[in-house]
Amino acid sequence: MKALSRCAAAGALAMLVAGLATSAMAQEKFKIFLSMSYIGNDWQAEAANMVKAMAAHPSLADKVDLQIQVAGPNAQRQIQQINSMVQAGADAIVTFPISPTALNNVVKNACDKGVTVVAYDAEITEPCAYNVHIDQLEAGRVTAEWLAERLGGKGNIVVLTGVPGTSVDTQRTQAAKEVFAKHPDMKIVAEAVGMWSQAVTRTELSKILATRSWDDIDGLWLQVGCFTANAMQLEAGKKPEELLPCAGEGSNGGRVQMLAADTQVEGAECPYCPLAAPRISYASPPYSGGLALKLAVAILEGKQVEKTTILPLPIVTNDTIKLCETGSWQEMNNGCNAFPPSFVPNPGWFASIFSKETPELGMQAALVGQPELE
Amino acid sequence: MAVGSLPAPRPRARGSLRLGRHRGLIMAIAVFCLLFLIVDWISAGPISYFEVSFLSSGGATLAIAAMGATLVILSGGFDLSAGAVISLVNVVLASHMQDTPSSILLWSLAGIGVGLATGAFNGFFIAVLRLQPIVVTLSTMFIVQGLTLLVMDKPGGMIPYGLTGLLAGDAIPNWLPMPLVLVAGLLGLWWLLKRSRFGVALYALGSDPAAATAAGVRVRRDLFLVYTLAGGFYGVAGLFITAQTGSGDPLVGNPMLLQIFAAVVVGGVRLGGGRGGLTGPVFGAYTLMLVVNILLVLNVSAYYSTVAEGLILILAVLGASLSRDSSLAQHLRLGRAKLAAWGAGSLPGQRQTQPPRLRLDGAAAAPAASQPTGVLPGFWLRHGETLRHALPAYVCLLVVVLVTQLVLGHALFSPKYYNALIVLGSFMAILALGQGTVILTGGLDLSVPWTIGLSGILLTGIVAGSDAALLYALPLVLAIGALIGLVNGLGIVVLGLSPIVMTLATNGILQGLALVYSGGTPAGFASPSLRWFMTGSLLGVTPVVWLMALFVPAAVLLLGRTPFGRRVYGIGNSQRVAALSGIQTGKTLLGVYALSGFCAALVGVLLAGFSGQASLGMGDDYLLPSIAVVVVGGALITGGRGHYLGILGGVLLLTALQTLLAGTTLPYATRAILFGLVVLGAVMALRERAS
Repeated sequence: MKALSRCAAAGALAMLVAGLATSAMAQEKFKIFLSMSYIGNDWQAEAANMVKAMAAHPSLADKVDLQIQVAGPNAQRQIQQINSMVQAGADAIVTFPISPTALNNVVKNACDKGVTVVAYDAEITEPCAYNVHIDQLEAGRVTAEWLAERLGGKGNIVVLTGVPGTSVDTQRTQAAKEVFAKHPDMKIVAEAVGMWSQAVTRTELSKILATRSWDDIDGLWLQVGCFTANAMQLEAGKKPEELLPCAGEGSNGGRVQMLAADTQVEGAECPYCPLAAPRISYASPPYSGGLALKLAVAILEGKQVEKTTILPLPIVTNDTIKLCETGSWQEMNNGCNAFPPSFVPNPGWFASIFSKETPELGMQAALVGQPELE
Repeated sequence: MAVGSLPAPRPRARGSLRLGRHRGLIMAIAVFCLLFLIVDWISAGPISYFEVSFLSSGGATLAIAAMGATLVILSGGFDLSAGAVISLVNVVLASHMQDTPSSILLWSLAGIGVGLATGAFNGFFIAVLRLQPIVVTLSTMFIVQGLTLLVMDKPGGMIPYGLTGLLAGDAIPNWLPMPLVLVAGLLGLWWLLKRSRFGVALYALGSDPAAATAAGVRVRRDLFLVYTLAGGFYGVAGLFITAQTGSGDPLVGNPMLLQIFAAVVVGGVRLGGGRGGLTGPVFGAYTLMLVVNILLVLNVSAYYSTVAEGLILILAVLGASLSRDSSLAQHLRLGRAKLAAWGAGSLPGQRQTQPPRLRLDGAAAAPAASQPTGVLPGFWLRHGETLRHALPAYVCLLVVVLVTQLVLGHALFSPKYYNALIVLGSFMAILALGQGTVILTGGLDLSVPWTIGLSGILLTGIVAGSDAALLYALPLVLAIGALIGLVNGLGIVVLGLSPIVMTLATNGILQGLALVYSGGTPAGFASPSLRWFMTGSLLGVTPVVWLMALFVPAAVLLLGRTPFGRRVYGIGNSQRVAALSGIQTGKTLLGVYALSGFCAALVGVLLAGFSGQASLGMGDDYLLPSIAVVVVGGALITGGRGHYLGILGGVLLLTALQTLLAGTTLPYATRAILFGLVVLGAVMALRERAS
C-alpha cells in the first residue's frame, strides 16, 4: 500500500517535471539567423520576403526567433557573419551561400558547435551542411532539349549566360552546350554574359543586334531575359506570332507573355501582356529560403531530414501555363503559375513560388512577406 | 554667400606636424578599440579566446590586402587589381596544392610569386612606361579576372588541412592565434622597410614626385618596387584566404576591392600619397569586420544594414579626423567669423563702398584688352595638347570598328551599327561627364551605382506607366540626383571627408533607401514616351541620339568655355593655388558633385526607359567602366587634364569593343583578357603620343 502510494507520488512528480519541461520548451524559441548574400536584386529580395513570411506563419511564429542579416557580395564578410552568429548563440543558420566552397571551414566549425546550417539555392559542399536547391545541370539540359526540339535540331541560336565563375552558371551553361553539341546543325552565333538581369539582357542583346538582325536568329537560350528579348522583338516590328522560341527564365513578365493572346489579364500592358510567346520557363525558385527555414526547424525538433533536398525543377511551358486570380497557395496547388500585373507590377519578379512543401507561402509571401492565413 | 574652403593652414610647428602625422593611426586604433568594447559590452558573454581567434582570421585577408593597397596609395598611386589578384592566387593554389609538406611550401611560395608577378606587371607599365596607375591596374584587373576563370571556371578544389592549420590556426594554442602573428610579421617587415632608403623614397614619391626626382630618388626603380611589393602583399592575402576557406572560388576576392579602400581610409591614410602608414589600415580592416558583429548584435534590419554601414564609415573617418585643423572645425570657425562680421556689418557684401564698382570696371575692361591683341595662335598650337590626348581613343575606335567589320560584317557602313553604338554609349557618355568632372578635380564618385538605381526606381515608381506623370517625375528625379550629389559635396567640402569615403558611404545609404522605398521589388514601369525615347525611332534614328547631339556640345562648352569649367581645371591642377587665386573651391566642388549626381540620375531615367522598368542593382555595372572611359579618353586621374571629346572617344571605343566581343562566341575569360589588353593598348598609344 505504502509502496503503491509512493509510486503514485513519484509518478505525479515525474509528470509534473515533464510538464514543466514542455512548457519551458514552448517558451524557449529557436534562435535562427538568416545570412543573406547581396540584397540588391529581385530574386534575393523575394527570397528574403518568403523566409520572413515563413517565420511569421502561425505554425512557426511561436517557435522561431528569426534575425536577418545581409553579408553583401563578399564571402569574407559572410564568414565573419556566420562566426558571429555562432557566437551569438544560434540554434540554426539559414544561409544563401555566396560561395559554395569558401564557407566550408566556418560551416564545419558551426556544425561542431551543434549549430544546424541549411543553405538554400546555392550549395555548400561541406558535408555537415543541409542543402536545398534545384538540379542546375537538369535545368540547363531540359531547357536546351526543349529548344532543340522546337527548332527541329537546326538553326542559329543566341546564348546569354549568368554570372561567370559561379557553379550555377557553369553547370547550366555546360549542360545546355552538351545538348547543343548533339545537334550539329544548331549553331551558337553569339554568346554574352547576362548576369541574370533583365537590364543587362537588354544591353547585351542590343550589342549583339548591332551587327545582326532578328531574322538571322532562330532561337534564344537565356538564363534570364526572355521577357526583355520578346519586348525587343516587338519594338523591332515583329508580330507576336513571329516571336522566337526562348528557353529560360522564370520571371512573371515572361510567364504572362506565354498566356494565349486572347487571355483577359488585369493590368496587362504590352510588352507585359499575353502574347502566346513560345517558351519554356524555369528558375531557381525563391521559395527555397522559406523551405530551408522550415527544414531547419524540423531538424531542431529532432525530425529526420535528408542532407540534400533537390527541389523539383519548376518547368512551365505554353501547355501548362495558367493565370492565377488570387495567388493563394491553394490556387497554385490547382495549377496556376502566372500572376496578373495588377498584383505584380514588376515583370522581373520571379514567378516560381509554388511548392507542395510550403502551404504557408503564397503570392503575398513573395510580394510583401505575409504568410498564407486560413 | 557660401563659405569657400580655404586650404588648411599647414605651416605650423614641426612638433604638431609630427603629431598630425600619427593622428590618423592613433584615431584608427581608438575607433577600433571603441568598437571592440561596444561588441564586448553588447554581446551576451565576455569575449573569449575563441572569438578573438575568429576575428583575427576573419579580418586578416582584408588587413593584408589593405597593407598592399596602402603601399601604392602612399606612393601617390591607386591599385584596382587587388581583389582580382587575391582570386587568382586562390584558384592557383586550390587547383595545384597537394597534401605534402613540400607541395604546401612550394605552392605557398608560388602563390606569393603570382602576386609579385602581377605587381611587377603593374609596376612595369606604371614605373617604366609611366602610364596612369588607375588605368593600368584596371586593365590588370580585367586580365587577371580572365586568367582566374581560365584556371578554374567554378568554385571547387580542396586545400590540404595542413595549410589551414598552419596559417589560420593557433601559434600558441589558447593564447595566440596564427593570423595575428602573420599580420604582426608583415607589420614588422613594414617597420624595416619604412626605415630603409626605399621607405624614405616611398614617402618622397607620394608627397612630391618632382621633388623626389630632384632629390635623387630613383623614381623608376622605387615605383616598380612599390607595385611589386604591393602585389606580394595581395599574394599573401590570397594565400591566407585560401588557408582560411580551405578551397578555391574564382570570385572570392573581387568584391573585396571597395572594402580594401574603405579599410585604408578608415585606417587614417590620406589618398593622394605621402601621409599615413601600414599599421592604420590593419586596424581599419579589423574595424570593418567588427561592424559585421555590431550589426548582428544590434539586429539591424537587412534593408538598413548598408545605411548603417555607410554611417559608421563616415563617423569612423570623421572621428579620426576631428581636430582643430579639421575641415569641419575650420568651417565652424569661418562661419562664426562670418556671423560676427555680419553682425558688425563688415562683410564685403554689406559694404557700400567703391570696390564693387571698381571690380565691375575691371571685369568689363579685361576682355576688351585681351581680345584685339593680334593674330590667334595656330589651331595645332591651341588644341595640340588636347588632340594628343584625345586622338588615340578615336584611332583605337576606328581599329575596333574595322575589326568588327571583318569579323562580324554589317558595321563600317551600317547606320544601324552606329545608332546602336550611340544608344548603348549614351549612358556612359552622360555618366562620364559627371564622373569625368569629378575626376578632373582630383576626386572620384563611387555613389554612381545606387544613384542610378534609386533614380530609376523612383522614376518608374512615380510614373507608373503614365506619360502625364513623367512631366513632374522627370524634373523631380533629376533634382533628387543633384541633391544626392550636393550631399556628397557637402560631406567632402564641409566635413573634409575624402571623396572615396563620402561617396562610398552615400552609395550604401542610397542602396538602403532604394530597398526601403521599393520594399525589395521595384514597382511600376517607364511611361510609353520614355520607352519610345530610348527604343523608338525619330527621323531614322533612336530619339536619344538627338539628345546626345545636344548633350555632347553642351558638355564640351561647359568644361571648355565656362567659368565653371575653368574653375574645375584650376582645382584639379592644384586646389591650393585655385583657392589662393580667388576661386571659391568649396562652391565649385559642390557644383561638381551635384553635376555628377544629376548625370547619374539622368542615366537612371534613361536606363529605366531603355529596359522599360527599373531593377535593383541596375547601376552596378557602370561604376568601374565610368572611371575607365574617362582615363582611356586621356584624362589624368589626379586631376587637371582631360577633354570631354577625349572621354567621349573612350566611351565609344569601349562600347564598340564590347559590341564586337558580344557578337562572338569567345568564352568570357578570353573576353575579359582581351578587354584589359585593349584598354592597356589604348593608354599606351596615349603615352607614346604624349611623350
